[in-house]
Amino acid sequence: MRDQPSSSKTYSRRFFIKSSSAFAALAVIPNSVKAFYNHIKEIFVPKKEILPLSLRINEKPYSLDVDSRTTLLDLLRENLQLTGTKKGCDHGQCGACTVHVNGERVLSCLTLAATLPESDVTTIEGLAKGDELHPMQEAFLEHDGFQCGYCTPGQIMSAVACVQEGRTTSVGEIKEFMSGNICRCGAYNGITNAIQSIAK
Amino acid sequence: MVKPFNILSNRKGRVEGKAKVTGKALYSAEYELPKLAHGVLVGSTITNGKIIGIDTSIAKEIPGVIDVLSYWNKPNIAALENAEKRKDFPIHHTFFHTTKIDFNDQPIALVVAETLEDASFAASLVKAQYEENKDMDIDFDNVRKRVDLNDMKDDRGSSSNWQNAPHIVDQEYEIAMEVHNPMEMHATIAQWDSANSLRVYDKSQGVNAVQNNLGALFNLDPKNIRVTSEFVGGGFGSGLNMWFNTVAASLAAKQLNRPVKVVLTRPQMFTMVGYRPESWQRVKIGAATDGKLLGVIHQSKHTKSQNHHFSEGITAIAHKVYGFENVQRNATTVPLHLSSPTWMRGPGDSTGTFGVESAIDELCYKMDVDPVDIRMKNIAPYEMQTGNPWSSHFLDECLQRGAETIGWENRPTKPLQLKEGNWYTGYGMAVGLWNAMRRHAGASIEMDKKGNLVIRTAMTDIGTGTGEAIVNMAHEFLGIPREKIKIELGDSIHPKAVTQGGSWGLSSLSGAIAAASTALKEKLATYASTNDQQWKAASIVLGENEISMQGKPDQKVTYASLFTKNNLDTIMVEEYSSAGEEREKYGFCSSAAHFYRVKVHALTGQVKMDRMVIVVDAGTIVNPQAAANQIIGAGVGGVGMALTEKQEVDINSGRLVGNDFAGYHVAVNADVPLIEVSFIDKPDPHINPMGAKGLGEVGLIGAAPAITNAIYNAIGVRFRKLPVTPDKVTSSFNSSA
Repeated sequence: MRDQPSSSKTYSRRFFIKSSSAFAALAVIPNSVKAFYNHIKEIFVPKKEILPLSLRINEKPYSLDVDSRTTLLDLLRENLQLTGTKKGCDHGQCGACTVHVNGERVLSCLTLAATLPESDVTTIEGLAKGDELHPMQEAFLEHDGFQCGYCTPGQIMSAVACVQEGRTTSVGEIKEFMSGNICRCGAYNGITNAIQSIAK
Repeated sequence: MVKPFNILSNRKGRVEGKAKVTGKALYSAEYELPKLAHGVLVGSTITNGKIIGIDTSIAKEIPGVIDVLSYWNKPNIAALENAEKRKDFPIHHTFFHTTKIDFNDQPIALVVAETLEDASFAASLVKAQYEENKDMDIDFDNVRKRVDLNDMKDDRGSSSNWQNAPHIVDQEYEIAMEVHNPMEMHATIAQWDSANSLRVYDKSQGVNAVQNNLGALFNLDPKNIRVTSEFVGGGFGSGLNMWFNTVAASLAAKQLNRPVKVVLTRPQMFTMVGYRPESWQRVKIGAATDGKLLGVIHQSKHTKSQNHHFSEGITAIAHKVYGFENVQRNATTVPLHLSSPTWMRGPGDSTGTFGVESAIDELCYKMDVDPVDIRMKNIAPYEMQTGNPWSSHFLDECLQRGAETIGWENRPTKPLQLKEGNWYTGYGMAVGLWNAMRRHAGASIEMDKKGNLVIRTAMTDIGTGTGEAIVNMAHEFLGIPREKIKIELGDSIHPKAVTQGGSWGLSSLSGAIAAASTALKEKLATYASTNDQQWKAASIVLGENEISMQGKPDQKVTYASLFTKNNLDTIMVEEYSSAGEEREKYGFCSSAAHFYRVKVHALTGQVKMDRMVIVVDAGTIVNPQAAANQIIGAGVGGVGMALTEKQEVDINSGRLVGNDFAGYHVAVNADVPLIEVSFIDKPDPHINPMGAKGLGEVGLIGAAPAITNAIYNAIGVRFRKLPVTPDKVTSSFNSSA
């Protein structure tokens, strides 16, 4: 028992990283040392945690097992093939990943999926009612509120929130509210005009 | 020659619009393949030196990790096996085949795992050992002083002819490193269907170029490589090259015999897929008292990387835009320990134009003449380098319309005249010019029994509206209702086409669409003609259900009977086209006039774009809504270039600082007004069947100097270094107080 660390306070992560590469380099390592190494590895290399999660996405119920590290964005894109929600930065700096959770706009890249039990998530795929587009989608088409289309789902989800939150009293207010959604193509005229046409 | 048109669709918006607003459009990282593994690139933590070992032992113990590729663990690639052979390839294709490190965050490993989370975490645990060389060149301001200028050897006249001109401006101008940053991060999915067959989904502006690059690398016939870039989330030049993400995914897929996806992170978008190089230029211009511009000396230096030559021709604009009788150009590139720069929207010309258009504005204030008048007087009367007449050139009309729209006559002609509260108002203008090019491109048309068309080309649509432009052009050439046309593009299985870029996309494609349309009509004429009734191909009009002859309303045959009579399932045509001898006879260019109004805050230094008017001559406007959108976007890019965009580099370590959207500021919605765009919309008579000259670049060229010229008009401070951030403005107020 004397070789066993009592807690992670005893060994720093840096120590583990350093010593582990030293261990790896040695060809002959006694079993006792190996056991010790494996023990501290378990302390310092976090285990993958898989958690159960039930939620509704675009009104469809899901019962999932998700990695505790998985963001809502990666859950949608990589696990559920709902790739309409886009990754533009993964750091909450560009707005491309905007979705609605329980009716409110949320950056899905900054939201861990596991924090959303029993939530209602709406993505761009859930905005239209069958073949009938949401008025905001129609407005983006009519006003050419995009070019490459990559930021567009996030723009539209934010635009819907912009109208719902009543931030459309002027061009200036729309532009200010929508400035968390970057469009590198610069289709800001079309985006602003689309929102204004819906707000009227 | 066809007439310019402005067709409004019955269907709303662009042909691909519905896919984009519903989230159904698939970008390169979004294809679902069985057994797809995730790869995450690891970058070097040193800037200069050699990697001598890599420790992947902990990374490999992370559950889900499949393999870690690096210099020490990669498939054998004959083309890269020795240093001599590697010279045939750009450095950014060979990172796993060299131990030399030339810039910070140079890819050194690819961690491949079952999930993105596993791969990302394991990538953080890869450790490398280096031999670091602290002797490195990072600081452009210092290093450029050691690098001499080269004579460009294409002088016109002589600089000695005008050194005693009554009015001379001689100034230096600088622009910070800018990064493309399309919203979609570069991504590749690669899968080997067999040892000799590679399938790639890539974020690229040109699928045929990627096909050829991969073919050379893996010693494959490009026919055995299929590259798809159906939806491309922006480019601005970053997708003109094939970068290491494409190579790494292909290597890993080969090594592991399963599909691998590699998506760059946003910080990696600053170090692995190019940028607009930091630049210095000197512009000396002389003018006569009547406003005639006598001569120009234009000199430039810009950065590049250690092992990849790149020169973007900053001084080319001195030759083109004005009728200077005397031109001297000198330029060079400065190798630094940074990653490789590449072409970014309006490459060379947008940088050079900042110098030239700023210098002319300075000259105007010195001479007390109207900046519009001096430009009207000096517009290049013909293509100056060749002496060829312009095929078409309406910069004068752009200037007149722009001046009228913004109310140029009523502007203050001196600085510091308009102030409301703490806001000064100023007006500025500048012009832009871009060579109108046309390259080789192909297209096919397939017609079914109902007369529906599918038009295919390998060319990509990077957001420019290529797809909708094809619909419009086919409608124009064939008369067929637009609703009967479907587009398939951005795939190397379609007819080859030049990479989308340089504003030549639509210009190049229009020839192919015209040729394919003609070929289709010829086939239809042959199928329709009988002994009793002859059909002339040129007069065929394709309708909803039948073809008819122009001017002969009674001569009709339905698609159904035509196909039945000839026992056909489909009719296929495929044609290619290039520029021809018109290039020897004429000069071709698009041009733009920018007229801006800015407000400058005396206390905070904020510069607010109050009004932006851009008038463009780009020949026929094929797709008015998307064309305006392009120019609006270029204007937004110009605001970034002038006011916000600067990639900071730590000159001690060679590391980028703040390389993400929090540290690197692109213009957002609130940074720009609703931009006012108009087109001259007159067809160019020679460039291509559509008369369209291209407009992706020209809207950016001249935008930045129009902004700094407006700032001068507002507050009387001349900014010669971009970007003009608020700190620079406030310190200029402080120093002048």
